[in-house]
This record gives sequence, C-alpha cells and structure tokens, in this order.
Amino acid sequence: MLDAGICNYVVISYGHSGLWGGGMRQLLFNTRASEAAFGHFGAVGRYALAARRGMHAFSRGPDTWKHIAMGQRKWANLNPAAIMHAKPMSEEDYYGAPLVVEPFRLFDNCQMNDGGRAIIVTSAERAKDLKHRPALIMGMGLDNPCNEIAQAQYTAGPTGAKKAGRAALEMAGIGLADIDACQIYDCFTYTVEVTLQDYGFFGYGEGKDWFKGGTIEPGGRMPVNTSGGQLSEAYFMGLTPISEAVMQLMGRCGPRQLGPKTQTKEPQIILCSDNGGTLQSHACLIFRRG
Amino acid sequence: MSVEKILPTPDADSKPFWDGCREHRLKFQQCGVCGEVRWPPSILCPQCHSQNTRWMEASGRGTIYTFAVYHQAFHPAFKGKLPYVVAVVKLDEGPMLLTNLVGRPPDSLACEMPVQVEWDDISEEYSLPKFRPI
Repeated sequence: MLDAGICNYVVISYGHSGLWGGGMRQLLFNTRASEAAFGHFGAVGRYALAARRGMHAFSRGPDTWKHIAMGQRKWANLNPAAIMHAKPMSEEDYYGAPLVVEPFRLFDNCQMNDGGRAIIVTSAERAKDLKHRPALIMGMGLDNPCNEIAQAQYTAGPTGAKKAGRAALEMAGIGLADIDACQIYDCFTYTVEVTLQDYGFFGYGEGKDWFKGGTIEPGGRMPVNTSGGQLSEAYFMGLTPISEAVMQLMGRCGPRQLGPKTQTKEPQIILCSDNGGTLQSHACLIFRRG
Repeated sequence: MSVEKILPTPDADSKPFWDGCREHRLKFQQCGVCGEVRWPPSILCPQCHSQNTRWMEASGRGTIYTFAVYHQAFHPAFKGKLPYVVAVVKLDEGPMLLTNLVGRPPDSLACEMPVQVEWDDISEEYSLPKFRPI
C-alpha cells in the first residue's frame, strides 16, 4: 500500500484490557469447546502438550527454560515500563513457583495485562524527514503449518519458524551470524527454545547448553527479549517483540539499550518472531538500523 | 454446592462419534477411497479429498503422543479432580484424540506408553473416552 501510494503512513496497534476486562479469559477459557469436557483450557494447556512432546524429543524442559525466564527477567529489571521491573528472579523463585499445567511452572507463562502498543510504518524515503532514525525492514517470512492442533505432529519442531526464518534471511540476504539480537514471541518459555532451535541458532537438542552462562542476558553474546518480553515486560501479541526491536535499533531503550550500557554489541540487525495459535502460524521479521 | 459438569457439544459432523461413545464404541470416519481414518469429522478426506465416507469402529488401543498435568482448575468443575492429566493419544488406526489419562499417578507417565480406552459415563447421554496405560 505504501509503495502503491494508497497511503503514506500505516499504524499497527494493539490494545487490550486482558486483565481488567476479562476478555482474554473469555477467549482462552471457552467452556463450549469440545476439549473443555476433558478439562482442557486455554493456551497454557495447549502449549504444555507441545512442550511435553518437546521434552520427549529433545528438550531438558525446566532445566533449560529457567535460563529463559531468569534471563528475560534481568532485562525487565532494566526496563521501568516492565510489569516485573522491580522483581528480580532467582533459580529458587523459578523452581519454587507453583506448577500451573505441568511441565510449566508459573514463570514459564507470559502475563495477562492491560495496555497497548503501536508502531508506524512508512516508506524509507518519508522516514528520512522524521524526528527519529527509523528501523528498516530487511526481510520477512511466513509459514503456517497446521489448522488442527490435535493432529499436529510438529510441536517438537520443526515448527513454522524453520521455513519462515529461512525465507526472511534469504530476503534480507544475510545469515544467522549477522544477527545481533532477537526478539522472540514468548507466550511460554518453551516457545523461545523451539523457535530459536528451528531458526538454527543451535543444533537439535543443544538448547540445554546454548542458554547456559547468560547467553541471552545483559552482557550475553545473543541478547533475547531485551524488554523482558511477554514473560516479564507485558503481553501485546506480536507487537511486544517488534516494538522492542525497532526501539533498540533507534537507540531509544534507556538503561536496557543494547551496546556499551549493557555490555553487548551495538545492534545493526535484529530478528523478530511472531507466532499464532499453538505454534500453528509463524512470522519472522528482520530489521536493520536505518 | 454442586458444580455443573461441562458436557461435550456435538454438532452435525461429530454427533455419530458421541452417539458411539454412549454405547462405549469409539467410532471414526474412514475414507471409502484411500482408507484414511480421520478426526475431527469432516465432509472431505484430508488426504484424497473424496466425499466417500463411512463410520468405522476403532480398537481403542493407542499410544500417548503427549500429556499435560493440570495443577490449577480453570473451571470449578475440575477443582476436585486436581491434579488431572490431559493427553493426546495416537490411536492404532491413525487419528490423534484429545482425552484424559486415568489409572496411573501422573509422574509415572511417559510419551509413547501404550494405552487402552476406558469409558467415563458422565451423564445419561454422554460417555467420555479416556485412556489407561496398559
């Protein structure tokens, strides 16, 4: 639409009173669904099924996921806008939190919150005249593997991330080695593990070692979800990862800014994921500094 | 205070399945052309797109594809059942069925365990196919 001259600026927004309004509960806990008679409700149950199959196939489960939950929390502790800003998380906190739907404990789950977020898309040409330095879209890829989740046999991977990631890298004309940071749709910790695995950041089953030693944290070699993500900042669907990637590339992230402030590489290129249903649809977006 | 149970909600496509369950028979659609046994019910075979369909009775045997242990009740009807196990069972005939696992402590379960159907008559009209490890 921008290229065709139909419009000059596009706002992509998301706003929801997920906590106060109860709309998210209605969406997730539908008692008319055929699975409700078996006591199966919401995204947490569906992703717990996916994660358990992942543990059967390749994952160490909580021993890996704790690094994701705690690492993202460290980023949230640097982000005054994050819901979990003032709440550090220790390993004892992670393991001590109640089981929700096993294999997930409380901090494997993203948050339900009120709020909103918006991004503005325009042409690179128009962006030159704007106040802030823009982030440019380098590549994108989509893959939607399934519409009937009970019959899905890919929940332990490869998910849609594999094809979508490959397509986005190809369009951008770069390789994974060029990526400076990732903003991954993190409805649950397992989603981060399986998505990064399917993108190829580590080999099948190697997440157990890859996440160790602070890889994704401030000071780490591959920062992931630097706002705290949906787990520790706030849940705004795909706009949590995308807005953070754009803000980081613009240099507007304050104490959590990638670069010298957080002992990380100054970011030129950031990869984002979005994910719908229960790993049923996937989008990969790659941005670079304008 | 008694809490109302959540019952299945059959539609025109799935009614024969739930009617079968009431008789403790596990019935699925099978394609009359390629033989694919499918779930959920549909007017077309997802493999070969034929509308030639019959209902067959499955053996009730399968394996655990995956499972999740609920420690929180998202509806009052399940409060007294915690912890309970929701699973996807891969039936020997092919389809995967969302169900509950019964008869074993949750921490003794594993993916790929063989299971057999066991019926839970939750009302006069409805029986749920649940599965027990064998």
